[in-house]
Amino acid sequence: MPAPANSSRMASLPMGEIAVARSSGALRTLLGSCLGLALYDRKLKIGALAHIVLPDSLGRDEHPGKFADSAVPHMIHRMRELADNHPLRLQAKLAGGANMFATTSAANTVGAQNVSAVERILDECRIPVVGRHCGGEQGRKMTLDLATGAVTIEIVGAESFTL
Amino acid sequence: MLNEPQLAALTLLFHRGSNEASLALSRWVDRRARVSVDRVEQVALADAAGELGDPEQPICCCLMSLAGGVTGQLLMTFDNAHGLALADIIQGLPAGTSKEWGEMERSAVLETANILGCAYLNALARSFATTDAAADVLLPSPPRFARDFAASLLSFALLDQAAASDLVFLTHTEFHIEDSPLTCELLLIPDRHCLAALRHVFDH
Repeated sequence: MPAPANSSRMASLPMGEIAVARSSGALRTLLGSCLGLALYDRKLKIGALAHIVLPDSLGRDEHPGKFADSAVPHMIHRMRELADNHPLRLQAKLAGGANMFATTSAANTVGAQNVSAVERILDECRIPVVGRHCGGEQGRKMTLDLATGAVTIEIVGAESFTL
Repeated sequence: MLNEPQLAALTLLFHRGSNEASLALSRWVDRRARVSVDRVEQVALADAAGELGDPEQPICCCLMSLAGGVTGQLLMTFDNAHGLALADIIQGLPAGTSKEWGEMERSAVLETANILGCAYLNALARSFATTDAAADVLLPSPPRFARDFAASLLSFALLDQAAASDLVFLTHTEFHIEDSPLTCELLLIPDRHCLAALRHVFDH
């Protein structure tokens, strides 16, 4: 569900989707064990948000936002399209990857695997991670402000905060 | 995923589970309970977050992980007010007594989920009975309680199916307790192995 460029509204992403937009408005997604990845260029005010479900696409290319290994390059590609030939200087913020209901040991969860996969790919792309709030046992509402790059995290029963 | 004839046949089988669960709920709360919504669904992953109403609203959920012949997740969900109203009924308290989720309130709804879920699963076990006794055994975990965003809870429960497909299958039943505004919902979300087994039942 891509959001239009220069969108001034809030766009909500379902599971496995990517949205890219610039300048104003916000992108938001709700996360459980899935991982939210926000990429942002502070100078160009171009932002992207992905709701990543699984770490590895195993070569499948029909739904790039769903997998860590395909989501990151796809986000960068679409941000470049909006950048009008200006070089991108990206920063990343991560949230999600909860072990909801504590169904297994935290280290073996899909959430933890998603975090590891995204961090490895960001490192390969030399994109610094400047904010993160991952793990735990609760879901999160993650909102990327396209004017500032601030990422707000809301958790049921807790005060919201900004990364 | 499942084709239309398979979905139609499954709908009939899952109705048995819903009816048994409704009877068990009636006995447990000592009031008439009826099934007001009962459907088998196959929806796009991107649309599944709305399955429990507004995806951004916090809801309460009791989750049972299923092993044995039917594998996946069984969720009993309700909004905050209805969950606390249910806790009042179970504890024999005047309506409106419970204000927040303490140990007793959680225990009351978890026991309700256990009774409702086991009645549902027992009916399914009879429906799906095979010649393989080991495969017919159902092993639900004790229910666990969480209060979280509806979309977060659903994304967790749907994760296994999402790994294999962009279409997800679930059964959705809504119960209404008469003489009260109280409703609760029951979602069965089979995993990939269970879906494959269900297909196999109809293919042979």
